[in-house]
Amino acid sequence: MSKYTHLLTPLRLGPLTVSNRVVFSAHLTNYAQGGMPTEQHAAYYAARAAGGAGLIITEEHSTHLTDWPYEKLIHGFDPKVIPGYRRITDAVHAHGVPILAQLNHNGGQASSMFSRLPVWAPSPIPDPLFREVPKALEHHEIRSVVDGYAQVAEHCLAGGFDGVELQCSHSSIVRGFLSPATNTRTDVYGGVLENRARLLLEIVAAVRAVLGPSKALGVRLCGDELIEGGTRIDEAVAVAQMCEATGQVDYINTSIGVATATLYMIEASMQVPPGYAMFIPSAIREAVSIPVVGVGRFKDPVQADRALQAGQADLIGVVRGQIADPDFVRKARSGSAQDIRTCLSCNQECVGRMGLNRWLGCIENPRTGREAVALPLPGRRSQRVLVVGGGPAGLQAAVTAAERGHSVTLLEKLDRLGGQVPVAASVPSRAEFLDITRNLVAAAHRVGVEVKLSHHVNAVDLLADAPDAVIVATGAVPHKPWWAGDLERVVDVRDVLEGHCSPQGRVLVVDELGFHQATSVAELLADRGCSVEVATPGMVVGQDLGITLDLETWNVKADAKGITQTTDVVPMGAVDGITVTLQHHPTGTDVVRTVDWVVCAVQQRADDALFHELADAPFRVERIGDCLAPRRAHAAVIEGHRAAVSL
Amino acid sequence: MQLTAPVVLGARTAPSRVVFGPHETNLARGRALSDKHVAYYAERSAGGCGVIVTETASVHESDWPYERAPLAGECAHGWSAIVAAGPSSLVLASLGHTGGQGSSAYSQRSLWAPSAVADAVSRELPQVMGPAEIGCVITGFAEAAVLAMAAGCAGVEIEAGDRSLLRQFLSGITNARDDGYGSDKALLLRQVLTAVRAAIGDGLLALRLSCDELAPWAGVTPEHAVALVPSLDVDLLTVVRAGPYAGSAYRPDAHIEEGFNLALCAQVKEATGAQVVLQGSVVTGAFAEQALATGGCDLVEMTRAQIADPALVRKLRNGEAPRPCVLCNQACRVRDARNPIVSCIGEPRSGYELTEPLVQQGISGRQVLVIGGGPAGLECARVLALSGADVTLREASPRLGGAVNDASLGTGRSRLRHLTDWLAAECLRLGVTIQVDSPVTPAQITSSPGAVVLATGSRPRADGVDARAALRGELPAGSVLVLDTVGGPVGVSVAEKLAAEGRDVRIVTQDPIVGTLLSLTGDLADCNTRLQRAGVQRELKSLLRSTSGGTALLEDVWTGTQRSVPAEVVVDCGHRLPSEDLYVTGMLRAGDCVAPRTILEAVLEGRRRAADV
Repeated sequence: MSKYTHLLTPLRLGPLTVSNRVVFSAHLTNYAQGGMPTEQHAAYYAARAAGGAGLIITEEHSTHLTDWPYEKLIHGFDPKVIPGYRRITDAVHAHGVPILAQLNHNGGQASSMFSRLPVWAPSPIPDPLFREVPKALEHHEIRSVVDGYAQVAEHCLAGGFDGVELQCSHSSIVRGFLSPATNTRTDVYGGVLENRARLLLEIVAAVRAVLGPSKALGVRLCGDELIEGGTRIDEAVAVAQMCEATGQVDYINTSIGVATATLYMIEASMQVPPGYAMFIPSAIREAVSIPVVGVGRFKDPVQADRALQAGQADLIGVVRGQIADPDFVRKARSGSAQDIRTCLSCNQECVGRMGLNRWLGCIENPRTGREAVALPLPGRRSQRVLVVGGGPAGLQAAVTAAERGHSVTLLEKLDRLGGQVPVAASVPSRAEFLDITRNLVAAAHRVGVEVKLSHHVNAVDLLADAPDAVIVATGAVPHKPWWAGDLERVVDVRDVLEGHCSPQGRVLVVDELGFHQATSVAELLADRGCSVEVATPGMVVGQDLGITLDLETWNVKADAKGITQTTDVVPMGAVDGITVTLQHHPTGTDVVRTVDWVVCAVQQRADDALFHELADAPFRVERIGDCLAPRRAHAAVIEGHRAAVSL
Repeated sequence: MQLTAPVVLGARTAPSRVVFGPHETNLARGRALSDKHVAYYAERSAGGCGVIVTETASVHESDWPYERAPLAGECAHGWSAIVAAGPSSLVLASLGHTGGQGSSAYSQRSLWAPSAVADAVSRELPQVMGPAEIGCVITGFAEAAVLAMAAGCAGVEIEAGDRSLLRQFLSGITNARDDGYGSDKALLLRQVLTAVRAAIGDGLLALRLSCDELAPWAGVTPEHAVALVPSLDVDLLTVVRAGPYAGSAYRPDAHIEEGFNLALCAQVKEATGAQVVLQGSVVTGAFAEQALATGGCDLVEMTRAQIADPALVRKLRNGEAPRPCVLCNQACRVRDARNPIVSCIGEPRSGYELTEPLVQQGISGRQVLVIGGGPAGLECARVLALSGADVTLREASPRLGGAVNDASLGTGRSRLRHLTDWLAAECLRLGVTIQVDSPVTPAQITSSPGAVVLATGSRPRADGVDARAALRGELPAGSVLVLDTVGGPVGVSVAEKLAAEGRDVRIVTQDPIVGTLLSLTGDLADCNTRLQRAGVQRELKSLLRSTSGGTALLEDVWTGTQRSVPAEVVVDCGHRLPSEDLYVTGMLRAGDCVAPRTILEAVLEGRRRAADV
């Protein structure tokens, strides 16, 4: 029996009853095509319903044709969505789980790129991200917005939803009206909070009139916009009370931040402590009696159960946790919570792909985003498969192959598994990244992969052994850049993190990768007392941290640790001392740095010797991960999975 | 004109020497050419285009460079529909593979490239191609060529230019192989051309070739290109400059002069027996005709000019003035993760041929007063006049052109004026009554006998010196702080202009780089380079908190750390507010007076309001 007594207790939510307190809250997926929901939507939500989620809330549905901030937004205002809605709700209801649709108009947090219409907002204040001056709404346009919500609520009813949630929190015209930062109107929709909340209350009334008493209506509010002059918790609490006072709202959902200004606090990475936003539902819950949802980096059922026990919220939004493992609740319920594939909060393939207009995936779960595409059956059953290399690629290949009925042996030359992951995760601020291989190692043991550590493999032995298939996942090795000569104190990030050297004094970190390698080692060395400068040929140090929402926190930490940053420079040579010549490529001028150590975050070289030695092997040979081309962990996982599926 | 006269290409004749080159459109449906593509190309064909080279199709599934990138295996139907819809033009199918410059985001597979050299932009390491992968690529080109010919294309164009695996093999920057493809860097290109020639029979074989990677230390140079081209069996050669570090060089915006490739093109033409196409920001008939007259080229690619005016060739032939391309790259350069649709600030129907209505000519005879002579008002008046309306355009200032007059004073922005000048000339030609120095009062609107359209533009958000005043030269002496909260072209052009005038200039932005919105135009890296070369101090990730006594207090957006910098004059290049003085609920209005945005929205709304009248 499960110990999660709070998490697994049913709850009344207006007309609905949820079987547990875990909500798969609304989040973008980019699964829509041509403004319509797809098979992939249905399969995606159904997988989380099958995994036991208490309540599912879909991604937002646009309520008006003036609202089209990104290409793959569902056009809820188009009646043609209804069959797609029905496909989603049927798929979810088949598992006995209620599902709500989130309705939204993004207001000024948009551009006209897709709609070719002026962007609508309370006041002509450009959004910090989209930077397009919106048209201040006239009263007849406000009525049109309200009507749009009601119309889409009708579509949702026809499509079988159990109710709707109004996104009024982090990217919304309602947020725009609520917030003093974006609403400078002087009419009845501006000024005092009662006026700024007028649009929300008009929408609540209009939508409830459509829904009737048998469907649920929730309102998602922002507890702190984290912007100058924005909404703070006291106003959020007051608005929640206004919602309750209507008698028409069944629950309050919460969030923090503004999607186009402080997104890094909405979808916080591992740099932000878990449960960081729970002050919001806590405060609202004290002021209202309807249920309140709390969110913010809930990674495991223990943490969620404790938050409920502490009275911080009535329900917990677990989004990334269920993106990584759709069976989050089922495993908690069945007493096997240790088997949950915990989210890393790395943001690489979920959040990171959203901002780039790509379909939502997961670094750990190669099936996320592909739920609607069935896997082929294994070719020949019970093949004997040898996987060489126990990094994320090899581990994923071994796990998937074993799950598909093959007999798998994993051979690792080191005395531990994980490849480069434990190295990367050895930096304190990146510790949660270790979960990716911890989860895979646990899965490998669970599915019966035979693991041989400290096992050196050569082609002769493999050829003699003659298995059915060999999957080569031998990784990559550091590669000293041409300009470093044979200077001993020019080292790779891995040399530092693996403890082969211990730089002291003045350290120059060269960032040619634009990801966590350089910033991680810079932090570590600064913490050890080094004087650190990070230099990059790019325009920004750690550029791709912007994709994972780590750029803000990195910069704050770098500043606090005295790390300096230099951009647009290319190393041209280094001589003992160490004196490094950096060319500032925009101007062609050379700058010189004299340091004690240089740490290189540069491209590695594929360790592909074994693969090439097996070129004429009589059995199948697959090559995956860094030994094919050194890249990031998601490529290793996907290729490991794909190779195993192809057997 | 030579330009508009037919030209014999192999066994075929093109109706003019004007080429519509291959470019990303994001019009594809999945990875197939769509009915939107067909309509897009059909209008250029009807307009007299000689040779249409369709959007480059990947020849193998290992290449998926952007989400809507066509895949040759899915293009047969689209090619034949394009040929059928544009029978007068020669249609060539562009075939390519972007290799290490592609993307793994859509395929979720490793990139293919000659060597383990990460792309300078994506920083992603590719898989080193072995014999099997090389074989797939050669076969892929040949099979795609067979498909294109069977679809009725006049031939194919092989992509070895901007983003191209074939160029990566040619270049010492990206090809460090130790096999035959390394010792002979043109081997793969020749193998592909041979395989394609065998596949297309008497079809035209065209090649788009980077003849200068602008990286002489290891890249393809003009000398390499001159030595290479005699050995290449092609009928048509388009000379381009492009490479891994060349950034925007292939199709730059107006910071680079029109026809910048002419000398390179002429140099290569001397070395080849093929007919040669001049590519590179050729946007006027006059330049194109002159280039042909020099003998430096046989045809001229005028891609953006035909995005701006699909009837370019017909109008040149008839002695009419086509709508000018102003080389802004704001709406036609769509290599962007958001998948914007190709379009044009002056001709917003481009790319939207199936949804934006054609401007209708007619004899409506209605009386209409258009208030405001910027791009919105001018376009509105032009379209109304075409429809036969009796149009009066009143402009409060002494000059037509609106905000464009000031914007075009910015460094690299002078061509913007060509569009408003063209609009004004068209209005005159079509009989619009134009009154400048003619402010309108509310009473005059009320008593106006016909319909009224407001296009009164914008006003500054705050007191002080704004970008437009700075561009007009209305600036006190002293060091300047350019406050650019937008990140578009305006702030950059103001800073460059003031620096060129010898001022001490700083540009403040909340972003980690200047000009973030210019990623769309291709000027993002270039503008940061130009600013640094001009000595403009970039105050990055900073907010302006206050000014006093010739200094400004800046604050780091993330850490809150504050610092003072010299700033005797602050120029606000931020967003503006709509001019709504004359507006009464329900009136028709267009452009900045609705919400201050760009020329595209002004023209689009001017046209739409004309239809609403």
